[in-house]
Amino acid sequence: MQSENAIQTINLTKTFKSKDLNSSAGFFSRKTISTNAIDSLNLEIKKGELFGLLGPNGAGKTTLVKMLCTLLPPDSGTALINGYDIIKQQMQVKRSLGTLFSVGERGFFWRLNGYRNLEFFAAIYNVPRFKRQQRIMEVLRLVGLENSTYQLYQKYSGGMKRKLALARTLLPDPPIIMLDEPTTGLDAISSRNIRDFVRSTVQETGKTVLYTTHYIEEAAQICTKIGILKQGKIIACDTPNALRDKIKKGERIYIILEEISPVQVEKMRSIHGVIGITEKNDPDLMPNQKGLCLELQNVDQLPSIFDFLFEQKIKFVNFKREEPSLEDAFIEITKRA
Amino acid sequence: MGAVAELEKIWYFMKRDMVSFSTYKTNIVILVFTAIFGALSFAYLGQSSVNQVVTQTFHTSYTTYLIIGLAFNSYLGQALTLVQKTINPWALEEVLVSPTRLTTFIIGSSIWGFIWSTAVVAVYLVIGVYFFGVLLSVNVIGTLIVLALGIATFVGISMIGSGILILTKQGDPVTALMTIAISLFGNVLFPPQVLPTFLQVIAYITPPYYFFTCIKFMLTGSTIAAILPNLEILALMCAIIVPVGYAIYAWCLKTARKNGTLSWF
Repeated sequence: MQSENAIQTINLTKTFKSKDLNSSAGFFSRKTISTNAIDSLNLEIKKGELFGLLGPNGAGKTTLVKMLCTLLPPDSGTALINGYDIIKQQMQVKRSLGTLFSVGERGFFWRLNGYRNLEFFAAIYNVPRFKRQQRIMEVLRLVGLENSTYQLYQKYSGGMKRKLALARTLLPDPPIIMLDEPTTGLDAISSRNIRDFVRSTVQETGKTVLYTTHYIEEAAQICTKIGILKQGKIIACDTPNALRDKIKKGERIYIILEEISPVQVEKMRSIHGVIGITEKNDPDLMPNQKGLCLELQNVDQLPSIFDFLFEQKIKFVNFKREEPSLEDAFIEITKRA
Repeated sequence: MGAVAELEKIWYFMKRDMVSFSTYKTNIVILVFTAIFGALSFAYLGQSSVNQVVTQTFHTSYTTYLIIGLAFNSYLGQALTLVQKTINPWALEEVLVSPTRLTTFIIGSSIWGFIWSTAVVAVYLVIGVYFFGVLLSVNVIGTLIVLALGIATFVGISMIGSGILILTKQGDPVTALMTIAISLFGNVLFPPQVLPTFLQVIAYITPPYYFFTCIKFMLTGSTIAAILPNLEILALMCAIIVPVGYAIYAWCLKTARKNGTLSWF
């Protein structure tokens, strides 16, 4: 029976040893430092899923991607890509995968045009010769580079280079795509184009996507499931909504008030049912206004809050119910782990 | 104040480069060796006995001897650095994640360099013949055999050097030593017979000497039979160096991948 997982890691572990350049043990000898980049990782990504791997810098995202695409051998454990073992069946793994590295645009040949670059990669990715031209034009159209096909690569802008790298990833039409921080360093429009492309075009074809990023909202916008990686371990893995729910303690209300003193804020904290109050830096506020985030046990406590404001003659400007953002969830979950 | 600040900036530019340079220990050692042996090779070039030994051994003029040497020196220089040129770390990663074999990668990445080098050799020889009176009498089959053995041997050496470079990141002692061996002991600029005996021994244990000796004989009217002893040694060196070079390159690549340092340079 075929597995329903496109990617599965089994106790995958990678430790890096590096020389400590700050130690002064001698001209040729240096102290060795060990870092657990990936620590007994067990992860399952189902076929057709757009899986976001979220983690701070140094969490192990790129190491994981490099191990899954066979570039980096694991110290122990293994992973299955499309059912193929990354250690024993490397050629099959490579045929099942398209990988975009975070600095992928550097692998291109600067003095060749976009078409010639892709022609080379089509050959080494075994795209049949009779299909090559058609496929190259197809992927260039998909990423929106059809008008820059014969432009020299060195004249491409940063966004165009990343798009060409994306086109190269799609060239062999692999069932699984790994995108390692594809929008890092790009402007807002180029980033949005790439996100839209991943969400629409890639998903429509039923491909599995592993999308690593440290931009939280980016993952929230496009991923169907998110794993949070910290120090080489998955500390949470769920849908974006479920991750938000995990940190939800009660109801969250954002309220804008006028002329409220710090003493009055302290008094509000003692109202029954108030879990916490935090002041929010809102650039839209007037100088005499204050934005407060109230965390209440439930929405029934709201009348007591308004009674208090009425008693204290504090004018309220606006209020709205707030859901915790994925960023809140990410910070809370990584803090707890 | 302004001048002092600018001087301080210059100091920090220099300090940045010095600290960075000092982290590549192997490279420092290699640079010192290259400078010493480079100076030695030009010192021997000026000796009056060179012309005499060339005429006696190759029965040709020193100009013919030198032009052939320089033409094929550039050829071997290409062979020595070819594999290195292909290990641009980012391109290497992109190729290694594709379903492409390592041997295909090395051969594919080397072909154009050799085609270009062949054109360069042709230009050297044509200029030599038409403008400097170089006399060539080519044994075609012999030349092709020597070239094939020489290229294979030097690509093997290049693989050893590139493998080490993948690990050390800067400073490839093998290519540096081979460059010294070519200029000082390789029968390129002067025959090693003009060197002191202890240095001649080094010439006879390094591949460049056999390659240049054979190729010079094959282009100046000798027969394969006449160079057979040297050709056999070159073939033996080739048979050893090519598999050893490949094994070392593959091992170094595997080690860099394991350590996660492939794209560090």
